[in-house]
Amino acid sequence: MLLNCLVRQPGRLLAALLLGGAALSAWAGATPSTARPSLAPTSPLVKPPAAASAPQQEDEHDDSANLSASARRIYDVGRPRLLQVRTLLRDQDSQASVGSGSLVGPNGLILTNYHVVSQVALEPQRYRLNFQTVDGVSGALQLIAFDVVHDLALVRMAQPPATVAARGTFDFRPQATPLAQGERIFSLGNPLDIGFEVIEGTYNGLVERSFLPQILFSGALNPGMSGGPVLDDRGRIVGVNVATRRDGQNISFLVPAEFAQALIARGANARPITGSVEAEMARQLLVHQQALTTRFIALPWRETKHAHYSVPVPQEDFMRCWGSSNPSESKGLSFERSDCQMDTAIFINESLRTGDIAVRHEVYDGSKLGALRFAQEAGMSFRNERMGRRTHDLTAPKCQEDFVENAGLPMRTVMCLRAYRHLPGLYDVAVLSQSVDAKTEGVQGRFDARGVSFQNALLLASHYLQGFAWKRSP
Amino acid sequence: METLALIETLDRDGLPRQILRVSQWPVRIGRAIDCDLVLDDPHVAAHHATLEMHEDGLHVRPAASLNGVRLGRAAIAPGSAPLLPASALLTLGATTLRVRQAGEALAPEQRLLDLHQYERRHAVTLLLLLVFAALWKGFDLWLTSMPGQQGSALAWGYLAAPAGLIVWCAGWAIGSMLFQRRFAFWAHLYIALTWLMAGAVVEAVTAQLAFAFSMPALEKLGRIAFVGAMAVMIWRHMGLLLPQRRRAFGIAIASALVVGGGLLLIDRAVQQQPLVGDLYLGTISLPGLRVARPVPVDAFVKSAAPLEKTLSRWTKTGDDDEGESDGGEDE
Repeated sequence: MLLNCLVRQPGRLLAALLLGGAALSAWAGATPSTARPSLAPTSPLVKPPAAASAPQQEDEHDDSANLSASARRIYDVGRPRLLQVRTLLRDQDSQASVGSGSLVGPNGLILTNYHVVSQVALEPQRYRLNFQTVDGVSGALQLIAFDVVHDLALVRMAQPPATVAARGTFDFRPQATPLAQGERIFSLGNPLDIGFEVIEGTYNGLVERSFLPQILFSGALNPGMSGGPVLDDRGRIVGVNVATRRDGQNISFLVPAEFAQALIARGANARPITGSVEAEMARQLLVHQQALTTRFIALPWRETKHAHYSVPVPQEDFMRCWGSSNPSESKGLSFERSDCQMDTAIFINESLRTGDIAVRHEVYDGSKLGALRFAQEAGMSFRNERMGRRTHDLTAPKCQEDFVENAGLPMRTVMCLRAYRHLPGLYDVAVLSQSVDAKTEGVQGRFDARGVSFQNALLLASHYLQGFAWKRSP
Repeated sequence: METLALIETLDRDGLPRQILRVSQWPVRIGRAIDCDLVLDDPHVAAHHATLEMHEDGLHVRPAASLNGVRLGRAAIAPGSAPLLPASALLTLGATTLRVRQAGEALAPEQRLLDLHQYERRHAVTLLLLLVFAALWKGFDLWLTSMPGQQGSALAWGYLAAPAGLIVWCAGWAIGSMLFQRRFAFWAHLYIALTWLMAGAVVEAVTAQLAFAFSMPALEKLGRIAFVGAMAVMIWRHMGLLLPQRRRAFGIAIASALVVGGGLLLIDRAVQQQPLVGDLYLGTISLPGLRVARPVPVDAFVKSAAPLEKTLSRWTKTGDDDEGESDGGEDE
């Protein structure tokens, strides 16, 4: 069983965002933001890295001392520019969630994750944003720009304290000098609201086969660190903490700095967002789904080995496929299953992820069952598919069904669409197809795309159904 | 002596408790022993009312009393003496009288509900139904089981349905015991099996037809027919308890269907679900049964274009503070 867990992985569902949750608020809310006796507000805002010079002397003597010395130096550099970003209830000081952030521009411009500020962005009538620095200075924040696709947001201090300029800002590592795999990098943040931390880890390049580029960071990130900066050994931002894998150890993900720089370039001078973010969010998601659809449709389906059926299985350029089958000695229906998903889904709110594609199929052999029982089993599996119900974010599904034939293969096909209730122009589409050509064998496939335009939903459905075919026996 | 009328004193069940043959008019009714009809009812006055024959027919003239006289359900105003219709019901105090006059047209003779006779008449059909139901259920179990599955596991499935049926019919038979003084188990079993099998067969056949002709509406019709069959079944059960109330039961069941069905439809419309049945047709049948021709992919995808309009309308309806997130996907 344990081996199973280590070998197999059911995909993206286990990638957890690093947002400190409501569970913390019970006790965290009891300690008001100003009551942090250990951090005197009067301490110097910019701590000169003078202290770091002494440990640096020891570098040559001891490698482990070198490690901790670097971390300490990085922390000293980052400390005045590091903040905790808190989402508070509008009318009281209880915190709903906590994340981290970094000062990246003048007048208190702060970079964090979109998911850290999502509650405020979507429900400003219920939530507000607050920051707290390492040395205990706190104040209100305003949302000024966001990039929902890459999970980034810019916020600004509503009334920047006079001393904010003295804190300085983080620089970005130039893109011309990329990191090499294995380089040590340092993540900063406030995990679980228990205090600011610096965490050493290793840069391991970009996550393979990920549609949205993410840096693979081998280091222990924890909830509450979301939005915190990740620095190279000279204290320059290389990425932003965003997520971790629950089924792995020290497998964490960072948003590459280039997307943060792009957001700062276009949003740093924007006015605070006061109205609804939904139109802008829909616009960003529509751009993303167009890129995803275009790339997905350009890829040919993979060759499948089944004797009679060609089944649409996607290339693994930005998807991961897992297969399974039931034991061959089974006396009932034998099947082989393939399940392909994307690693990245775009966070909209706690209950809504979007912007991804999943493809799966099952090939059945019912020769041990006979025609009647096979039809019964196939029907059970066909009607058990969930298409979802009406939710806060999505309408109920509405379906179209018929017998569809492609390349000599007749299928019973259902296509269900759901519309996003608050993001105009976006839909979820599911296509379910069951072959009806043979008495004791068949294939059932399902295609899902979340957050695509109506036209692209039809385009993807068409592309998917055209991946089915009947192979003439050689 | 010629009998001019009968005055029947009725009990709570509407059956005569005491009958007075009338050979001359008027007839005085009251608690006093000098009355022609003496009622031993403390809510009746000594002289409560008088029945008088006039040229146009028989009239009732209430005397002074505390509780008065009602004709049918209407109280008779003091001082008036209304004409009595055929088989009139009079209420004096707590006593109900029926006045039957000579020469009244009689209602036709009603067939006796002889439960014993009923059961004998349907004995053969019941036997056939039992065999059919056993085969049907057996086929269903075979269909949904896997080869080599444990027999004991199947036995539970096989026993659950008949056990439920026995409990159901025994419940109704106790009702028959109450109203008809007979534990009419077989009669109720006959009714239950008839309509259950009718419903099941219609449902199964429409599902297959819906697949064959690619007409999901047929399957939905089958579901409505099944509900209808269950309603008829309950109506027939009730009719066996109190045959004279069949009409009222029919109206009650129909109203319940209309109200309950209406509420269900409204709820499903609000939830943006299909009004009847599932989101899509779940039947997969033998390849040879398919009659409808498949459409090409492009035509199918094009046919989904109108969904956009419906979905766009749905985004604008309903309040925001409900609904939870979706679960995952099943097999």
